[in-house]
Amino acid sequence: MATIQLNKLTKAYGKAEVIHGIDLDIPDGEFVVFVGPSGCGKSTTLRMIAGLEEVSGGDITIGGRRVNEVDPKQRDIAMVFQNYAIYPHMSVRQNIAFGLYTSKLSKEEKAKRVEAAAETLGLTALLERRPSALSGGQRQRVAIGRAMVRNPAAFLFDEPLSNLDAQLRAQMRIEIKALHQRLGTTIAYVTHDQVEAMTMADRIVVMRDGHILQAAPPMEIYDNPVDIFTARFIGTPSMNIFPARQADGQVSLTDGAPSVMAGVRPQDLKVAATGTGMAVSLEGVVTVTEPLGHETLVHFSTRGGHDFIATAPGHFGASPGDTVQAQAAAGTVHLFDPVSEKAVGRA
Amino acid sequence: MAFDDTTRAARAPRLNMRTRRALWVWAFLALPVLFYGVIRFYPTLDAFRLSFTNWNLMSPPKFIGLQNYREMFASPDFWQVFRNTFAYLIIGTPISLLLSFTVAYFLDRIRFGHAFLRALYFLPYITTASAMAWVWRWFYQPAPTGVINSVLGAMGIGGMDFLRSTTWALPSIMVTAIWAGLGFQVIIFMAGLRSIPQTYYEAARIDGVGDWAILRKITLPLLKPTTVFLVVFSSIGFLRIFDQVYNMTTNDPGGPLGSTKPLVLMIYQTAFNSYQMGAAAAQTVVLFTILLLISLLQLWILRNR
Repeated sequence: MATIQLNKLTKAYGKAEVIHGIDLDIPDGEFVVFVGPSGCGKSTTLRMIAGLEEVSGGDITIGGRRVNEVDPKQRDIAMVFQNYAIYPHMSVRQNIAFGLYTSKLSKEEKAKRVEAAAETLGLTALLERRPSALSGGQRQRVAIGRAMVRNPAAFLFDEPLSNLDAQLRAQMRIEIKALHQRLGTTIAYVTHDQVEAMTMADRIVVMRDGHILQAAPPMEIYDNPVDIFTARFIGTPSMNIFPARQADGQVSLTDGAPSVMAGVRPQDLKVAATGTGMAVSLEGVVTVTEPLGHETLVHFSTRGGHDFIATAPGHFGASPGDTVQAQAAAGTVHLFDPVSEKAVGRA
Repeated sequence: MAFDDTTRAARAPRLNMRTRRALWVWAFLALPVLFYGVIRFYPTLDAFRLSFTNWNLMSPPKFIGLQNYREMFASPDFWQVFRNTFAYLIIGTPISLLLSFTVAYFLDRIRFGHAFLRALYFLPYITTASAMAWVWRWFYQPAPTGVINSVLGAMGIGGMDFLRSTTWALPSIMVTAIWAGLGFQVIIFMAGLRSIPQTYYEAARIDGVGDWAILRKITLPLLKPTTVFLVVFSSIGFLRIFDQVYNMTTNDPGGPLGSTKPLVLMIYQTAFNSYQMGAAAAQTVVLFTILLLISLLQLWILRNR
């Protein structure tokens, strides 16, 4: 059990600084997900916490102890890698037990822990198999098992589900989340997939270009993104952003100099919705429709050439070329400063 | 023409797709198959027949049964050569593999001068064996010509008769052979080391496993295919050693007193100095059998369990 603190943490390769002094407090037992596009520094940050990369500046403390110069093995953490890093020449049992290689526990105690981890992860029947005889999801479970047996103060996950297919990924997401609820250990988890971030995290840390843009619970980020990047990064499909002018409660698309950048989530932009108190009203020509079953995503293009995604009911009759109208209710429109791209409120 | 093509396409082809593909494959394979069949395999097989004959190239071969083998196994010279050959193999292979792995293991970890050092290690491998043998021959000369003896003398140690001693000639020649093959083995080992994913090591470091344990538990087991290849390759090399011995002992090839003579050199002398083709063929059959057995044995020992 441990808190992890990053204090003005920087990382530089030669003269190129890639992490620019980030601050973050991860309380004991929290599930924190670092998310961002590739090259944003999320993996580097995690590897610095693990001790696989040297810290260029600032401090990392784990459980109150400054660990900048501490060897990975002394940090009492366990890490799960994207390619699982389980050894092909060892059986599942040996792989899991490898996490206890340096442990001073007795042989029986070690065996008991391996059995217990296998039990938790549903690997008992596979203990004597080689990794080559396992599926991707099972391999990742072995890697998690190897991390679990050590009873570490914190788990670090580096894109653990990226090599799995979509269905397995969804299943493993739930398994890891359930595991966290059971063990209650601090988890730092890196992913580029915002769905993983949304579904698993207690708190999401959105990173870009070596900076933390926002660190907050998933729904807080979804409801109140601090800037355009975060707004577009979290939530699928991405939020519609357009240059706009604001006049008496109405936000309207403009081709001139915008006074504000407006953002509407596709879920809030409803095709053919009628009613009063609409903050945004748009008209355009349908380019593509994507029926998802419970709803249909309608891609349309306004006369000025701005593309939008709106939602319509499941059985929606429009086809490409049709003209549609879409509206968003008051209170659902996010407003951003056109220059700084920071959030300035809602309309 | 277009009409022709369409009618042909419309007609069912006479051969099915698999047969046609096989024909193409064999058309391309025909040349090497023919080459190996005529130039390599036929003489190899013929050597078995010739080993039962008495043949001096002038008169036609005369069948004499197992007499070549009986004479060979009764000759003390043959057993001396047999021992020499196995000395090259049993001492040379492990030493060269240990050396090359050590070099590769540490060379893999340095950045500065990496390419230069690698080239330096590889250089002997692409140098003509006879040229190298002559250079080493000079090294081994008595002082002041020989560098090694000069250094030994300067350190106050008496000179050594490297190539003229029946005890030291074989190890002296083996050193040059190991050195010549080192570069190749280093390159292959480094390729093997590079193919082990970095995360295996990172995971082990986080688990707190030490360098020695990582080497024993992760690196060496994962390097096994590379090691098997090099053990077999290097063993065959030492069993067929010839150039170094021949060029370093030109006055009395395989000397002094046959103490450095390997099987291949004996075959060469029997065939082209004494013109006893039948006896040479019998020796070749023995060499072939040894090579086959050693290779099979190694593959069996290092097999995947």
